[in-house]
Amino acid sequence: MNINQYKISFYKIIKFAIIVLMVDFVVGSISQKIFYSQETGKFARTTHTIKKTKADILIFGSSHAHRHYVPEVLEKELNKTCYNAGAEGQQLLFHTALQEMVLKRTTPDVMILNIDDSFLYQSQVAYDRLSDLHPYYEDHTEELKPILEMKSSLVDLKLFFKSYQTNSTIVHAFRYYISPQIDYKGYRPLYGKIIPEKIPLNKEENTTKEYVEVIDPNFVNALKTFINNAREKKVHLVFVTSPTFDTRDYSENESFLLIKDIAEKQEVPLLNFFNDKQFYKKPELFHDPSHLNDKGARLFSERLADAILKMDFSKK
Amino acid sequence: MLFNSFDFLAFLPIVLVLYWFVVYKHIKWQNVLLLIASYVFYGWWDWRFLSLIGLSTIMDYFVGFRIYESQQKSIKKRWLWVSMLFNLGLLGFFKYYNFFIDSWIDMLSNIGYQSENTWTLQVILPVGISFYTFQTMSYSIDIYREKLRPTKDFIAFAAFVSFFPQLVAGPIERATNLLPQFLNKRNFTYQTFSYGIKLMIWGFFLKLVVADRAAIYVNAVFNNFESHEGLSYIAATILFAFQIYGDFAGYSLIAIGTAKLFGFGLMTNFKRPYFSASVSEFWTRWHISLSTWFRDYLYIPLGGNRVAKPRWLFNLFITFLISGLWHGANWTFVIWGGLNGIYLIAEVLIGSKNRKGILNVFITFVLINFSWIFFRANNVEQAAYMVKTIFTVPGRLYIGSGDDIAASMYAVLAIIILFVVEAKKEYFNTLFSISGNRLEVIRLGGYAAILFMILYFGVFGKSQFIYFQF
Repeated sequence: MNINQYKISFYKIIKFAIIVLMVDFVVGSISQKIFYSQETGKFARTTHTIKKTKADILIFGSSHAHRHYVPEVLEKELNKTCYNAGAEGQQLLFHTALQEMVLKRTTPDVMILNIDDSFLYQSQVAYDRLSDLHPYYEDHTEELKPILEMKSSLVDLKLFFKSYQTNSTIVHAFRYYISPQIDYKGYRPLYGKIIPEKIPLNKEENTTKEYVEVIDPNFVNALKTFINNAREKKVHLVFVTSPTFDTRDYSENESFLLIKDIAEKQEVPLLNFFNDKQFYKKPELFHDPSHLNDKGARLFSERLADAILKMDFSKK
Repeated sequence: MLFNSFDFLAFLPIVLVLYWFVVYKHIKWQNVLLLIASYVFYGWWDWRFLSLIGLSTIMDYFVGFRIYESQQKSIKKRWLWVSMLFNLGLLGFFKYYNFFIDSWIDMLSNIGYQSENTWTLQVILPVGISFYTFQTMSYSIDIYREKLRPTKDFIAFAAFVSFFPQLVAGPIERATNLLPQFLNKRNFTYQTFSYGIKLMIWGFFLKLVVADRAAIYVNAVFNNFESHEGLSYIAATILFAFQIYGDFAGYSLIAIGTAKLFGFGLMTNFKRPYFSASVSEFWTRWHISLSTWFRDYLYIPLGGNRVAKPRWLFNLFITFLISGLWHGANWTFVIWGGLNGIYLIAEVLIGSKNRKGILNVFITFVLINFSWIFFRANNVEQAAYMVKTIFTVPGRLYIGSGDDIAASMYAVLAIIILFVVEAKKEYFNTLFSISGNRLEVIRLGGYAAILFMILYFGVFGKSQFIYFQF
């Protein structure tokens, strides 16, 4: 046993580890500064939701939330402040984590969760995209740890490194610094209308599904947690489904049926705009078959505000 | 277990500490430890297939003796055939059975005979089977050729067959190089240890930053090729060239580096292949352990280049065709191998084997990239469609949407870094060096910077190494 060689190796490894930690700390800290200095883009909106918003109404959900709920309209109709915290491509685990971080700081009057019919189906990307929460881990370990541990083990070890916390965010930061991504209280309108003749007949086959039709118990738990969190803080919670261009049959959609069932049992109102006659087959209201354009979003927001007014949320 | 997993990050130090601090006094115990560690490493993926490695080990251990002890050449040959048939039988059943049945049924249907396919089986391809079967076959062949004496030390032999750093994706080691290392004392030296760590860090950079970043764009185009056009196919193919290089060369470097930590030397598997000025040269720099295996155990026994020219060209072609099939049970791989065979034949015929210069490097890169289209495409129809579209509908370049744009930018940045490092090694090797710098702060700082880039730009999903499937 060559003790000398072991000693040399040991000291060198320690030296190397110290240098790695120093580089990580210095460059990682700079990267964090850049990250939090973003004023537009998806990270800026998430940061605003977590750290700044005091809105009375908060909207959660995926691209359908982000593109369909116009805060300006809701504020005018409901006489409350509103912020759209919808995040494109994100699913229930993300929304629940976001809700928990928000509730730690502020308590809005109303939370609206836009429901996608496939929310409870297994989806790997739902886990993969949780990396968007990494930058907030240091400040929100308690809320984020249980959710990030569903994605991978040893979360504490990985996120110990500052550079890993902001992994792959620098291009976003520079991109939106050079070309700001304008939003209106979190809402980003879509323009243009669809041309029905150009929609492929077999569009279901042409769309790459990001899920498999098997219920994921983690997503079911996330939905229940979302409801419980709101209830504990006495926040009025409303589930809403957005209109689509085509009529769809949800009678055998296990995910959506389970969401409806949970909502009913937990007494969460579900405003269902699927197959709503005011919207379906109206190309002038849609940007694509599943996203409303600005005109459609404004009409939808008005309809939603009317429905909420009827719920009489003034009584807490 | 994957190298790019946190399981491995915990596994490796435990095995190293036991190896150098607990069982360091006896080679035998070190080999026992390596054998157990290797079986744990492999069993982490699927313990059921350990039985195949075990069977292959026992078979070749005994057959090795039979070959060595037999007095008559014909009996030696018979035992060699036993080893070959067993190993190729394993490979044939697990990897090629369904492929040949499907192809047979397709062929019958093409000539008008419709048959219901009831012959294919639900068979899982055991990880690394192509690698360890080739490694054990080389043992039997080398004993037959009297280049090697069989070892009586069963543990050392079993550890040689299943040595975890290179078990699942090579380098495919020769018994003549690796087996003696299991029989002799390994010494711990700082030089070897630190060199191993440096190789591993660069290997992880190649895998997590170059390959996995490039994969995002490549998959977006190849898995949804109907939505893209010629220019995007070209971009995706070039990125795939770096993806597969980063993936496989990265794995090899991690394997070689890991082996060094235990005091073992494995063969170099890649030598900056994209700087080759001819396809012949490319194959002396790409997956060297496999190409030399095919050279020594197939091409030369077929007669190599010491035969009449037509036969020589046939030998070249058939070697590459089989090499293609080795990579996967799909006609795309066969065509890929065939294309490379054709390139080599053309180089022989026009006498351009020993080309030099940047222009030839570029031409070779284009030719190799063309063959990658077939390697990466999901089927022959897709490859044919993409090739046709490249020449007929250049269209517009897809730069990604949403996060894909950022992924492409990181991939390009990583490839630029890779290019600079490799170009420096290729053309200006005596200039500035990080790993060999006399200033410690530059050596350590340089590798700390690479680690930082891995943490900051790397993809930390659960991505497999591409060559695991082979």
